[in-house]
Amino acid sequence: MTGKGARLIFWIGTLSSAAIFLWMTYDFHRQTPKYTKVDQLTSEVVAGKKVWHKYNCNDCHTILGFGGYYAPDMTKSFYRLGENNLVTIIRNPEVVYAKSFRKMPHLGVSEGEARQLVAFLKWTGTIDNRHWPPQDEKFVKAYQEREKRVHKLDIVDIAVGACGGCHSFENRGRNVAGDFNDIAKRITYDKGTLVRYILNPQSVRPGIAMPPQNVDRETAEEIADFILALKVHKEVRR
Amino acid sequence: MIRFESQRVSLWYMRLALVLFCLQVTMGLWLSINYAFTLPQELVDVFAFSTARSIHTNVLVAWMLLGFMGGTYFILPLECDRDLYSTKIAWAQLIIFAGAAVTAVVGFLFRWTRGKPLLEIPFPLNILIVVAALLFITNVALTIMKSKERTALQWMLLGGVVSLALLYLFGIPFYQNLNTDYFYWWWVIHLWVEGSWEVVTAAIVAFIIMEVTGVDRKVVEKWLYVETALFLFTGIVGTGHHYYWIGAPDYWLWWGGVFSALEPLPIVLMVVDTWMHVRERKNPIINRLTWTYIIGLAIYHLVGAGLWGFMHTLPPINYYTHGSQITVSHGHLAFFGAYALLNLTIFYFAFPRAKNIRRYRDTAGQWGFWIMSISMFLLGLVFGIAGILQTYLERFLDIGYSTAHITMMFWFRIALIIGIIFLCGVLTTVWHLFTLKPLEEGTAE
Repeated sequence: MTGKGARLIFWIGTLSSAAIFLWMTYDFHRQTPKYTKVDQLTSEVVAGKKVWHKYNCNDCHTILGFGGYYAPDMTKSFYRLGENNLVTIIRNPEVVYAKSFRKMPHLGVSEGEARQLVAFLKWTGTIDNRHWPPQDEKFVKAYQEREKRVHKLDIVDIAVGACGGCHSFENRGRNVAGDFNDIAKRITYDKGTLVRYILNPQSVRPGIAMPPQNVDRETAEEIADFILALKVHKEVRR
Repeated sequence: MIRFESQRVSLWYMRLALVLFCLQVTMGLWLSINYAFTLPQELVDVFAFSTARSIHTNVLVAWMLLGFMGGTYFILPLECDRDLYSTKIAWAQLIIFAGAAVTAVVGFLFRWTRGKPLLEIPFPLNILIVVAALLFITNVALTIMKSKERTALQWMLLGGVVSLALLYLFGIPFYQNLNTDYFYWWWVIHLWVEGSWEVVTAAIVAFIIMEVTGVDRKVVEKWLYVETALFLFTGIVGTGHHYYWIGAPDYWLWWGGVFSALEPLPIVLMVVDTWMHVRERKNPIINRLTWTYIIGLAIYHLVGAGLWGFMHTLPPINYYTHGSQITVSHGHLAFFGAYALLNLTIFYFAFPRAKNIRRYRDTAGQWGFWIMSISMFLLGLVFGIAGILQTYLERFLDIGYSTAHITMMFWFRIALIIGIIFLCGVLTTVWHLFTLKPLEEGTAE
């Protein structure tokens, strides 16, 4: 090979690759509105993205698979945890993770910022990214199922939707804080106490890791009925 | 043996780079402690993982850039056969760059950050970095313009540093859309590492090989063209392997997959090329350590960046391994193999010459090289094992993130021990470089 030939290879290789890449960049921008629901990219979502940057969330958490690798991927976290759980964890990590081996710093995120962050994470969850991450697909499906039948939500959907970030029921939700069947077997509360416990766990059992749940009293009562029903059901069956 | 007085400025770039290297590795150890043990909440609140990680990664970028700049300033006068255009500019640039870097590190401790991994530096500091980069390019370009002869190596070096600076600009704006944000984030990170940095590497390695082996310039430059062509041809579209799961069109899977599968090719060529030059050398072996570093660089580059990268950028595999500790394994091996070893090769080329030492006592340097290389390889394996565990538990058995991470604590305790050994290797090497002593002639080497 001559020096001239080598130079020719250099220019052809580099320029052709750059041309392909630039064309793809153009096409990426053309198709981005379709893949990322740009019409739902509200100022609330943008404010949430700024909160995400402000507290440097991305240096522990990954999102779209990039970032710190130290804490869970947040791409579909809205589906996994739901709004109230996200806000509770963001605002009181030292309570939620008091007994966990892994700690999240208490960053002093305000209520408003936390809601904006949730809006950003909710929007991020809608990005059509070929069903990644794979392990969160089941949460996405469950959420969409609930959305579709919004008027016919049964109590299991409500309970898993509200508490599924930590509790599980018949293989749904995350089993961090116990399965409802086991809990029903264990607890001795009456309905009033259980409702109080759901709304403010510290008032019933000081020092407990469970965060206060941001559900209204009506929902809390429904969930309490549901859990207590499991108890009766179990005893009758036995 | 320094031929031009202005070359001396480069040594301060390299010294600062070595100090930052030590800081980077120390921060890395702290990160592995976070994984291996449960730290008390009070400590996490004050000095969080995110803070330590921003220091770990930004200092990595900073010391490598300092190494490249220093290397360029050391080599350029030799290549252009004249002093640098301005030593004053070089000093001003170093002071601005170092000032920005130190401010950034202190700022991270107080949560002054843009919250973009690897590009956390706040906007005002970014301006300083851009100013430093412009000074650098001006100085390099004017030195080349004023030289009597124009060589391929000069152009390659200039092209590399210009694209390095241009691509950095894409990381500065705030993007509203997360997928666009990451699209351009990779313009900096990927196109740097697999584009501009590779071009600079290829040019510097070509120069050092030419000087050390005495092989004909024409032969070296021909290889340089072909290698760089392949680096850019595969590397540019290869960026696509980062666009699989960010909400981009499907064809990126194909383009990214095929082109990143080709990415090891130029590195294989680089190994072959290095090997051939070393075999056909005309000069006698003077310092064995330089050779060790050149060959170590080529082979480690191939394994860490080439093979490890190849293994997990194929879309069907990447779907499961993306965002796991496997990426961490690849990142460590690739950065150490390609760029840490490159910088150390430059330092071992420059330091003895600057101190007028023809032959130096190299026992400590050899120990440093082998301790670093072996422990980093083991570290890559340990991260790899942790990553395979994580992938299997999380993505196949559908076990929650935190639960999967509990099984990794054991491996991160091992990583911590290996990390301490690696730090010993780094300290040995840095100490050796700072205190090079001539070998008395007549003593057996």
